[in-house]
Amino acid sequence: MSSATWLLTRRTLIQFPRNPMVLGFSVAPVLMMFVVFGALFEAVKQLPGFPTDNYFEYLAPAAVLMTTVPGIANSAVGLATDIQSRYLHKLLTLPVSIGSIMAGRLLADGARLFLQAGAVLLLAIVLGAQIASGFAGALLMLLIGALFGIVTFGVLTANLALKTKDPQAVQAIFPMAFLLIFLTTAYQTEEQVPSGVLRAVISANPTEYVLQAMRDLMLTGFDWGSIGLAFAVIAGLALIGLPLTIRNYRSVYS
Amino acid sequence: MPADPVQLLLGSTARNGVRADGDAIVVDRLEKRYPNGTEAVRGISFRVGAGEVFGLLGPNGAGKSTMMGILGTLVRPTGGRATVAGYDVAKAPQLVRGQIGFAMQEVGVDALATGRELVVLHARLHGLPRREAARRAALVLALVGIGDAARRRMSEYSGGMRRRVDLASALVHLPPVLFLDEPTEGLDPHGRAAIWDAIERLNQELGMTVVLTTHYMEEADRLCERVAIVDRGRIVTEGTPAELKRTLGAPHAVTLEDVYLRTTGRTLEVAA
Repeated sequence: MSSATWLLTRRTLIQFPRNPMVLGFSVAPVLMMFVVFGALFEAVKQLPGFPTDNYFEYLAPAAVLMTTVPGIANSAVGLATDIQSRYLHKLLTLPVSIGSIMAGRLLADGARLFLQAGAVLLLAIVLGAQIASGFAGALLMLLIGALFGIVTFGVLTANLALKTKDPQAVQAIFPMAFLLIFLTTAYQTEEQVPSGVLRAVISANPTEYVLQAMRDLMLTGFDWGSIGLAFAVIAGLALIGLPLTIRNYRSVYS
Repeated sequence: MPADPVQLLLGSTARNGVRADGDAIVVDRLEKRYPNGTEAVRGISFRVGAGEVFGLLGPNGAGKSTMMGILGTLVRPTGGRATVAGYDVAKAPQLVRGQIGFAMQEVGVDALATGRELVVLHARLHGLPRREAARRAALVLALVGIGDAARRRMSEYSGGMRRRVDLASALVHLPPVLFLDEPTEGLDPHGRAAIWDAIERLNQELGMTVVLTTHYMEEADRLCERVAIVDRGRIVTEGTPAELKRTLGAPHAVTLEDVYLRTTGRTLEVAA
């Protein structure tokens, strides 16, 4: 990491506690939903073929994504705020690359998501869940979740911030993240999804492949085939999204 | 707090090299046409010598801020050429950025940071070591009149305080070339006088080249060795304040404001 990237990462890290409402409300609803959904849908585990007898174990990987995917959008809110306040332009007059400015914010937000999603896994353990792949698997699950958040909603909202320069426009798109996660096997197995059309949509949703890898880490252990597929999905989305984001970053110059 | 921040800044190490002679800025038939068709800069040429204070005057929409944006590497020119400290602004913007400080018209500050944090960060991003960055930050914040308030978050600052912190962040690395886009806009007379004094001393004692835009003719008259009056994207006249005044009569009887009004055909009320 370059020194400029670290300095800009540090800037964002220092400022997280100064906005405690954002910090708290980007994870508290997920923790509540985790407990509520876990209680509401607990009966699902009694259906034949359900892979675990603890529904929180099944739900935990989805809850990690519920933290990281919408949670990364706060990074774009910060970017839009920097554009609106003209601070981004000030940074662009310094001998710092656009890559460092982007990476500084993403690394700080990646670290925040890692810790917030870690809190979700801790809650799952408190509620009786076990992580089959152990501590290393838990860290890998958090890494996959954070990276997927960055290359999906992170890219989408960053480009929205760069185009609209409006933090409110970025916040308005938050609910889309939940749609991305709901259209998977987050809450029930594929066999339990009644509609063939919905099953086709789920198969076409890249989130499903990332979720599968995370669920394998949770329920069965290290399945390198599914982990490799998850990283391939993340890499593919990054190859599409990151150049577009860099291009839009450059458009900040008049 | 030190009694004389400029004297202490003079003793600073790791200062970027200030060019002792030659031109710090060369602008040659520069043009900027925005995608909507607006021609903000239409073939402007001028030179600024190293260690000179140069003023760009003109009404709103004349093209001053676009010129500053081009020289500060934020705006890409669509024609002509400009070099700052020997580097082409279009071909080597990153090298230009290492040689300049830029206090912008629309002040860009980070509301969640303290004044001190922002200035230290900018010093570090210019490559200063941590201790030197902290020392310089304290000096430049004192120089612009931000004392203990430097520890407070900038969300609590007034517009004038934000402008002064922005100026401090542009100065902290002691750049060879300093761009100031309406540096005293919104400041009270006391704050304005303090900034004028700081600019004069940095120029005289550190040899810093300064390019500034302003609506205050008194400011240009006091600070600038040469001025160019810009209107509708072109330079309409250029020279020392005394030379420009002589074109209208006896220098002591004519003000720079008279020259401005005559050359642009607009009132200052319209301009402001």
